[in-house]
Amino acid sequence: MSFIPFAHALASRQDLPIPAWLFAWAASIVLIVSFFALSAAWREPKLEDERARPLGERLSGALLGPPLQILCGAIGVLLLGVAVYAGLEGTEAPDRNFALTFLFVTCWLGFPFFSAVLGDLFRPFNPWRAAGRVAGAGFTAIAGQRPAHLPYPERLGRWPAAVGLLGVVWLEVVYGAGGIGIEPHATAVAALVYSAYALAMMAVFGVEVWCERGETFSVYFGMFGRLGIFGSRDGRLQRRRPLSATTSWATVPGSAAVVIASIATTSFDGGQEGAFKDALESVVEWLADLGLGPTASLRWGETLLMLACFAGVALVYLLGVRGMRTVPGAPSFAKLRAGFAHTLIPIALAYLVAHYFSFFVFQEQAQLGFLLSDPLGTGTTDLFGTAGWEIDYSILSANTIWYVQVAALVIGHVIGLMLAHDRALVYWPDYRKATASQYWMLAVMVAFTCFGLYLLSVSNG
Amino acid sequence: MNARTAVLGVVLVVVAVVLLILLSGGDDSGSDTTTSGSAVTDEAAKGDDEGKEAEPTEVTTIVVGKDGEPVGGVTEITVHQGDEVRFKVESAIAEEIHVHGYDLMKDVAAGGTVSFEFPAELEGIFEAELEGQAEQILELRVEP
Repeated sequence: MSFIPFAHALASRQDLPIPAWLFAWAASIVLIVSFFALSAAWREPKLEDERARPLGERLSGALLGPPLQILCGAIGVLLLGVAVYAGLEGTEAPDRNFALTFLFVTCWLGFPFFSAVLGDLFRPFNPWRAAGRVAGAGFTAIAGQRPAHLPYPERLGRWPAAVGLLGVVWLEVVYGAGGIGIEPHATAVAALVYSAYALAMMAVFGVEVWCERGETFSVYFGMFGRLGIFGSRDGRLQRRRPLSATTSWATVPGSAAVVIASIATTSFDGGQEGAFKDALESVVEWLADLGLGPTASLRWGETLLMLACFAGVALVYLLGVRGMRTVPGAPSFAKLRAGFAHTLIPIALAYLVAHYFSFFVFQEQAQLGFLLSDPLGTGTTDLFGTAGWEIDYSILSANTIWYVQVAALVIGHVIGLMLAHDRALVYWPDYRKATASQYWMLAVMVAFTCFGLYLLSVSNG
Repeated sequence: MNARTAVLGVVLVVVAVVLLILLSGGDDSGSDTTTSGSAVTDEAAKGDDEGKEAEPTEVTTIVVGKDGEPVGGVTEITVHQGDEVRFKVESAIAEEIHVHGYDLMKDVAAGGTVSFEFPAELEGIFEAELEGQAEQILELRVEP
């Protein structure tokens, strides 16, 4: 029996596990860095203020003005359309069809990677936001008044996005597990169903409200965009301190669930062939003994494992929060739980880079090569003359991949610690109490980082 | 200790440790291998400098049964970059065998045998499959 991580359906080269000596070194660095962080950090919060500086009025106007917004929105809608069309009409070979690579690699991994540096890049290209705004403008023009929306239930917060995130990874990794991975056709159907759902929700609650709270991709990509240096406020583009915009991200309920879901799903995909393989096999056998068919027991087994990952990551975080409650002067559990959620964003990004960096580099060559010129994979079209480009697997050596993986986890760890320390200084103005509270978050971060290293080091055979 | 010197200290330690790792990893990964990771390490310390004259690896035989499944499960072959990969497939059914990543394809007739021999240039983990029924028969690991 074999469990197929998503990457198998597309890229032909998988990463070697990191060698034991590198694991040992990396884990030691994490501990040394953490030890110094406790004694060395600053005493006043530094990141709470974005120190945003607006960009020049002309530049800002050009980049955020209607012409470019309409153009970007149209590009988003067009590309989604191409992906859906390719999925419905193109080849069923997953690696030769535009749909899978474009949706699950170029967008699903590309937006987090690039937004984390530059700021939220998805917003202008969001096809559902663009369609929703056009529909809203049309309604206003015809009816002579703005569409009326229901008030969004505040307590629901970002929970729909957290559930949506689990759903996307479920579709990507679990649904296709019975065969050779998710098929292009099923992906296209899922994209259409999701589009209908997103547009309906926008009609009910309003475009911007739904994008901020419930629209899975806006929330997920926007979360990583908070790490980046550009943002917009009141229609003006601005440069801000790196990382600082994360501090105001988790004020909406359910935000912690989104970032926990991100770490959990990456762990799940990374571990199903390695660290969790034995556990998964026994669960699947147990389900088969209960009388489920082979595909059903595999899907249910993987679903249970994915939920267990979510519960496990949530538990570690909540234990850390519970620990901080014991420090005198601590705010309420709920406030702490929301207050430190953003400190996990760099860890979530580090997990993504560690698990998918090489996959992204390999698969983007296909995206820009044969998939762009021959989106249906029929072998008869060559739109841009790049249909003959194949993936060069030799451009990354195993050593390069290992160092990028380890560096991502260590850097993510350090940034997570910085954010947590900074937030602690807000809740505990007394520097010593803030530091005392951070023993707990330190333990949480060390746990996640070492677990990430462990996932990379386990042979996925 | 004041905050600024301490931060400087952290940075210095990190830089020092990272350098150490890069150096120790760069010229000889074998010397640090104290743990049980993989058994095959010493002969071909590094593919690029003296890898060519690596010892001829044994020829592994993979048997595919009438049910179209490899007898005894998926075979694993581990080599170092630059080594020769040698294996043959004895198949009870007619199939096409595809080594992914290296993109080598050969047909085998029912009851026939087909041999593969190629230098392991790409590092990583690769699969060989019976292409027709997408059944994995081999996992090839090429270590640096």
